[in-house]
Amino acid sequence: MTRRRFPWFSYLLVVTGAVLTVVPFLDMLMTSFKGPGESGTLPYRFLPEAFDLSNYRAAIDQLDLPVLFRNSVVATGVITGSVLLTSSLAGYALAKLRFPGRKFIFRLVLSTMMFPPFLFFVPHFLILVHWPLAGGNDLFGRGGAGLTVSIVALAMPFLVSSFGIFLMRQFMVSIPDEVLEAARIDGAGEFAVWWRIVVPQTKPVLVTLGLLTFVDAWNEYIWALLVSTANPDVMTLPVGIQLLQDYVDPTRTLPIVMAGLVLSILPVLTLFLLLQKYYIRGVMLSGLK
Amino acid sequence: MVNVLTPETQERAAHGPPSAGAAVDGRGRTRQRRRQAVVAYLFLVPTLLFYAVFLILPLGFALLLSMSRWAGFDLGDIDPVGLDNFAGLFADGSTFLAPILTNTLLFALGTVALALSGSVVVATCIDKLRFQGLWRTLYFLPIVTTVVAVGNVWKYMYEPGGLVNGVLNALGLGSVAFLQDPDTALPAVVVVQAWASVGSAILILTAGLKSIPESYYEAAALDGAGPVTVFWKITLPLLRPSLLFVCVTQFLTGLQSFALIIVMTKGGPGDATNVAALEMYRQAFSYGDWGTASAAAFALFVVVLAATLAQLWMFRRKGEDA
Repeated sequence: MTRRRFPWFSYLLVVTGAVLTVVPFLDMLMTSFKGPGESGTLPYRFLPEAFDLSNYRAAIDQLDLPVLFRNSVVATGVITGSVLLTSSLAGYALAKLRFPGRKFIFRLVLSTMMFPPFLFFVPHFLILVHWPLAGGNDLFGRGGAGLTVSIVALAMPFLVSSFGIFLMRQFMVSIPDEVLEAARIDGAGEFAVWWRIVVPQTKPVLVTLGLLTFVDAWNEYIWALLVSTANPDVMTLPVGIQLLQDYVDPTRTLPIVMAGLVLSILPVLTLFLLLQKYYIRGVMLSGLK
Repeated sequence: MVNVLTPETQERAAHGPPSAGAAVDGRGRTRQRRRQAVVAYLFLVPTLLFYAVFLILPLGFALLLSMSRWAGFDLGDIDPVGLDNFAGLFADGSTFLAPILTNTLLFALGTVALALSGSVVVATCIDKLRFQGLWRTLYFLPIVTTVVAVGNVWKYMYEPGGLVNGVLNALGLGSVAFLQDPDTALPAVVVVQAWASVGSAILILTAGLKSIPESYYEAAALDGAGPVTVFWKITLPLLRPSLLFVCVTQFLTGLQSFALIIVMTKGGPGDATNVAALEMYRQAFSYGDWGTASAAAFALFVVVLAATLAQLWMFRRKGEDA
């Protein structure tokens, strides 16, 4: 492109856009330091009078932040682990094993991606509530709270990712058959071939998929909200913070909410900044979010 | 929803090469084949079970519910009512068609328009600068941030004592009650949704820009074309496949999103920011009307499906991939 002159105009536009992108984050950070009566009052002031950390203390106490944090970590961990494992196993079977029904199952995986998530909120919730023989339910799913009593309810609808299977399969197809064949001749079973050859070779893709899944699971809101309504014990970070925002006097709690938000986005933000390369490749592979 | 139109998809779909079993002959070969089939199904069991319980069963259940009346307690009490729920959605006086579905389309179209124009300009400009990675990282931050954070920060910024009105006041303008005024509420949430999705659009467009051959720009420079002419006559036309891709995927996402709206306005004031997916959610979890909720979900699904098919058709016809 034309690099002869210094691109003033481009710099101006990009910097303006970047400021617009970052300012809401800074506003969140600054508000989290503000004292009582300092936020939501006129005239608006960007900077706090003092960098007061008491809101963070209050967030940790009032929000029961350690519990929310634990729930988020458990749900996110279970989802990420399960997606990585099932995607890798299913992807390997579809890419490198020969069996009747392979074509059909691959088509099935692709076609499931046509169904948007909003179709499933209602039936998933009802299925978990009426899960037979769980949470006080009888054999016909009556009488109790079903699986919503358990923290696994947060993770259940996200345990398998069709996109993940598809992604792993696409990458595994390019592993040379000779390598796998050589291992088989040396007496390795299919499980050993998968674990010792295929998994190490697909590590970068696994990191990408794991990161995408982790971020999505950590940020998930609607499903966690539904499950937490049935069982407040499994509330996650986004749900708990939103609850505080909705039900307590906003002018007083706003700085506390912002402090909670800052703490809740820190883990993903750090992970993203550290492993950006992988995440960005994932977004390129999956299209837009 | 994930777009499956990545370049390798279609050619490799469903007919990868046979892998094992080539080196062994006769009975050993059939035995190995059989063993491989067993292993393959073992590897696929978790996925297939999941599909049965969390995909096929719910779809069937939702379809059944969309044609029933049910209070939500005993599965034996599901009362089939045919297409009554759908008829109710589109009956006179129902709010589903207008304003809810209209809002859904406006929300999706508004987001696309804002995010697309913003990302085209920024991506083209970033392409001329140094530290491209840094800029892209900055623009990407909202994408990895939970909707609860994005929604609440913007909600606060839109308040009379918030940043946006602070800026307006500093410029000598009056305050605007963005989220409380039915006329400004929908545009206000559209801005936030666009703000949150510009980063990934920039990413896709940057990749598209990198694939435009340098020689085109050199030729244009020789002909004395200015930067604006270059942008309109070279960059935009050659960026078309990426633009189309961003446009369509962003539109599909817009049709389905409602988490941001729940956080910011809960659909209000009135139905000013109510969208179809949110209406489904409210019918189910606020009013316990599972039948109407399921019918609303399928009605929206038809819209999404139509948009998806239109997308497939467009890509096929032009022979373009993402």
